[in-house]
Amino acid sequence: MKLIYHVLIRLSLALLIVLTAWTVFFYYTMIEEINDEVDDALEDYSETIIIRSLAGRELPSTGDGTNNSFQINEISPEEAKMYPPIKYYDADIYIKEKEETEPARILRTVFTNNDGRYFLLEVSTPSFEKEDLREAITNWIIFLYIVLLITLLLVCIWIFYRSLTPLYSLLNWLDNYQPGKQHTLIENKTNIREFRKLNDAARQAVERSEQLFNQQKQFIGNASHELQTPLAVCNNRIEWLLDNTELTEEQMKELFKTKHTLNYIVRLNRSLLFLSKIDNGQFSEIQSININDIIIHLLEDYKEIFGHYELAVSLEIKGLLFINMNEALAEALVSNLLKNAFVHNIEKGFVQVIVNEHELIITNSGLSSSLDSEHIFKRFYHGNRKKESTGLGLAIVDAICRQYHLQIFYQYMEEKHCFGIQK
Amino acid sequence: MKILIIEDEPSLQELMFKTLVKEKYIVETASNYKEACFKITDYQYDCILLDIMLPDGNGLKLLEELKKQHRKESIIIISAKDSIEDKVYGLEQGADDYLPKPFHLAELNARIKSVMRRRWSKDGDTSIRFGNIRIETDSFRVFIADKEISLLKKEYEILFYFLNHPNHLIDKAVLAEAVWGDHIDQSDNFYFVYAQVKNLRQQLKKAGASVEIRSVYGFGYKMVSCEN
Repeated sequence: MKLIYHVLIRLSLALLIVLTAWTVFFYYTMIEEINDEVDDALEDYSETIIIRSLAGRELPSTGDGTNNSFQINEISPEEAKMYPPIKYYDADIYIKEKEETEPARILRTVFTNNDGRYFLLEVSTPSFEKEDLREAITNWIIFLYIVLLITLLLVCIWIFYRSLTPLYSLLNWLDNYQPGKQHTLIENKTNIREFRKLNDAARQAVERSEQLFNQQKQFIGNASHELQTPLAVCNNRIEWLLDNTELTEEQMKELFKTKHTLNYIVRLNRSLLFLSKIDNGQFSEIQSININDIIIHLLEDYKEIFGHYELAVSLEIKGLLFINMNEALAEALVSNLLKNAFVHNIEKGFVQVIVNEHELIITNSGLSSSLDSEHIFKRFYHGNRKKESTGLGLAIVDAICRQYHLQIFYQYMEEKHCFGIQK
Repeated sequence: MKILIIEDEPSLQELMFKTLVKEKYIVETASNYKEACFKITDYQYDCILLDIMLPDGNGLKLLEELKKQHRKESIIIISAKDSIEDKVYGLEQGADDYLPKPFHLAELNARIKSVMRRRWSKDGDTSIRFGNIRIETDSFRVFIADKEISLLKKEYEILFYFLNHPNHLIDKAVLAEAVWGDHIDQSDNFYFVYAQVKNLRQQLKKAGASVEIRSVYGFGYKMVSCEN
């Protein structure tokens, strides 16, 4: 999830909660305030009526257009005691002029006149429809919420991207960075201390990993280089022993086994050296290579070498594939791909090679399960461990493809393993 | 025939020495640049095996020196630096062959023989012989008792390899690698070698060759002469 979405979702949620709380608070405060005002007016009105009533003057008429109304009832002293001296409440009343019931605010009070008689006075004034108010407030709050949200989010996005530009250019730079590849120095000027620190940290990390990468590369290169001569000496000593001494079959068998294991190490070493040479860019001579020729030539050899598998080998040429690359690497690329198809095959299986102007596709039968396409091109990945396999063939293929920006893909479909390279 | 080995790695030097002495050569050794300089100035050889990476100097300098003196020695460069530049430079400077480390001793042997052949065959005869078999290497023709026989490419290459290593035990895997190239390196079955050798044997027998390709316990082969 992108950081901006994360921030926006959180912001929207927080805003929703805050705004809801605020709405509830606002609603009750407003009701309170309105009631207070109305109550004041009702009190004035009731005072006028009481004064007039006590003075025996004419009471105000109810039909004066204000919709105010009052009612005076005489009550007994006992009843009077039961009523609180003054009480405000909400109720629906019937308004004659309008001929409808409306919500109203009512003041009920008890007063005595000079004769000591008790009167219950109820004064009412039509108030607002709370339902309407609530609805209106809700609508407006939703509207406000949306507008506020959009405004806020837009502002937020703008500020976010404006202030996080250095972060994004740093991330972009890191994305483009590949260990061992040429990389440009990070250009990310910023006044913000945190970003400056982040830049420094990233630069240092990259420098360190670069250094480690080079050291490792050099180590592998040197190690395999240094191993060559002692390995050859071992091999030659065994050859000498086999050639110049009288040995029993048993002894010879052991020596041959040792020799074959040694040959395996030699091959492994040679492949590692080859890989490190590819990575060091030591195959710089480039020419236009006819891949078809290499395929035809190698396929004949492999058919013969892996004859005991009795494979059905087919070659389908739909066009000539030319790639600008080093000749040795082209041969290594094709031979490793082909070898892979032959070695990891099953008896009486098949190898199908299709080549056209843009791609080379090699399909073969094999284990009836897909290989891990994530790791298949990594060094020493063994799908099914074949005794003689070094586990470096596809790593070499991958290294060569990276060198010349060729696309490489692996697919498993209906018990068929399919490898391909694309120009 | 006198051979000088200039090689600083003692183990390898010893092995080369042992192998070449067994081939009835007179062998001298030098372990560093100084020693090599000394021997080259004082003695004459037929062939010099030159490691160009020496602890106290570059072997290519020795090569330049030898050529400056118009010496007649055949020179085979031996080097772990199997980069193409070194090879090209060495050959341009007048080396006769270039053998990258690591190599099989049998290979070294064959290279020395081939260089010697070229050296002695002033009349252009570059053929290899064993028993009554003769291969004309520049025209790829094979004769048995002076009668030409035709072989397929792989059969020819196998025979060529055997003729270069007569009387030696040849590992099937090494033979396969020599004839089929590096591509065989993951084959766990050498039936294809067996099949080709079988065909070759038949051809040789039919033509009345005085040599025989013997199997050695199923590990390898040895070409021997039937005359003795």
